[in-house]
Amino acid sequence: MVTVYVPSQLRKYCRGATRFPIAADTVQSALGVLEREHAALYRNLCDETGALRGHLNVFVNADHMRDLDGIDTTLAPGDEVTIVPAVSGG
Amino acid sequence: MSGAEAERYSRQVRFAPIGAAGQEAIDRASVGVVGLGALGGVMAEQLARAGVGALRLIDRDLVEFSNLHRQTLYDESDARRRLPKAVAAERRLKRINSRTAIQATVDDLNGSNVEGWLEGLDLVMDGLDNFETRFVLNDACRKARIPWIYTAAVGSYGLVMPVVPDGPCLRCVVGNMPAAGSSPTCDTAGVIAPATAALASVAVAAALRRLTGRLAGGDVRLASIDVWSLRFQTLRPEAELRRACPLCEGGRFDYLHTEPVRAITMCGRNAVQLIPGSRSELDLDTLGRSLEVFGPVESNEFLLRCAAEGFELTLFRDGRAIVRGTEEPSVARAVYSRMVGS
Repeated sequence: MVTVYVPSQLRKYCRGATRFPIAADTVQSALGVLEREHAALYRNLCDETGALRGHLNVFVNADHMRDLDGIDTTLAPGDEVTIVPAVSGG
Repeated sequence: MSGAEAERYSRQVRFAPIGAAGQEAIDRASVGVVGLGALGGVMAEQLARAGVGALRLIDRDLVEFSNLHRQTLYDESDARRRLPKAVAAERRLKRINSRTAIQATVDDLNGSNVEGWLEGLDLVMDGLDNFETRFVLNDACRKARIPWIYTAAVGSYGLVMPVVPDGPCLRCVVGNMPAAGSSPTCDTAGVIAPATAALASVAVAAALRRLTGRLAGGDVRLASIDVWSLRFQTLRPEAELRRACPLCEGGRFDYLHTEPVRAITMCGRNAVQLIPGSRSELDLDTLGRSLEVFGPVESNEFLLRCAAEGFELTLFRDGRAIVRGTEEPSVARAVYSRMVGS
């Protein structure tokens, strides 16, 4: 199991959940699980083509997904996947 | 530094990573603060107290009562008089540290004035409330090789990342400027003072590290902080991001040389029309739900309209907006940033 952390701005799309334990071996498959089980959240993560929305960054543990293998980054049990939206307020 | 001045900073100097040499570097430094709201106010105050030699401040907004729960530089008297934040901040900071040279400007920072405003600065603090100005600042600081500290907050959450000449920039991490309305603003989603104060403090710590020679490109981390759920993370934006960045790799200053949002005063109508430089279709359904915090939202398939704080905002699906209740473009931009985000 890996843990996917949901940022506060998107929790309204998954009944306030802060994290999900998910059985997935890549970032892509973790998003697939979210698409099936939390459709409203998924629609705010990915566009109609399935691409991650531009203002979102995904980190696997402390590393940016783009510094690893992108959406195909492999996940090991215990890994933490964190969705970090760009923030503009101040 | 006189004996009294040395005593004033003695506890900070005793902190080994700063020391006497670090304090002298802080004393020599000129630091800019863009935006003097909840983040920028805390930043400016902490930097003045730390003994920064010169502070250059810029903000386009006025103090309002809805600011006072988190914007710690201001009080009820400032809000009653609707003082410009830059003016109220300058007065307060001079009382905090009379030795720090303060230069305050009431204005909108944009592509036409940013390069002049940056001249001579060693570092810039981001106290902004919108992406539009941040992307201009990111371009201009990259061009002038001036470090800046990206800092942003909403709700109980926010991000801090130092942007230094040999490290990743905002565009490396965020990509192109997010579409208007794609992220919540402090006006739509709310914000609490513990979040803004914590994030501003983390940013000032990064500033002190930079000014004392202890923060280079390899040390850069993106700090993600939620003071309500107590989730604190430091994330590594590594070199790979820079290789795909149109600014760092391509040398394209896309936001510095274009006006992302054009403002046209609508004569005799007490309104300003805002036209985004690059059109992107707005998600009016999502925006309408966000704007309901201000009151009833009228909408049809082409537009939505709502009123707040004495202004009426009409948003069209193609990104255009009309802000009624002002003829000042900077006021209209501020209303748009607060209600829609940019």
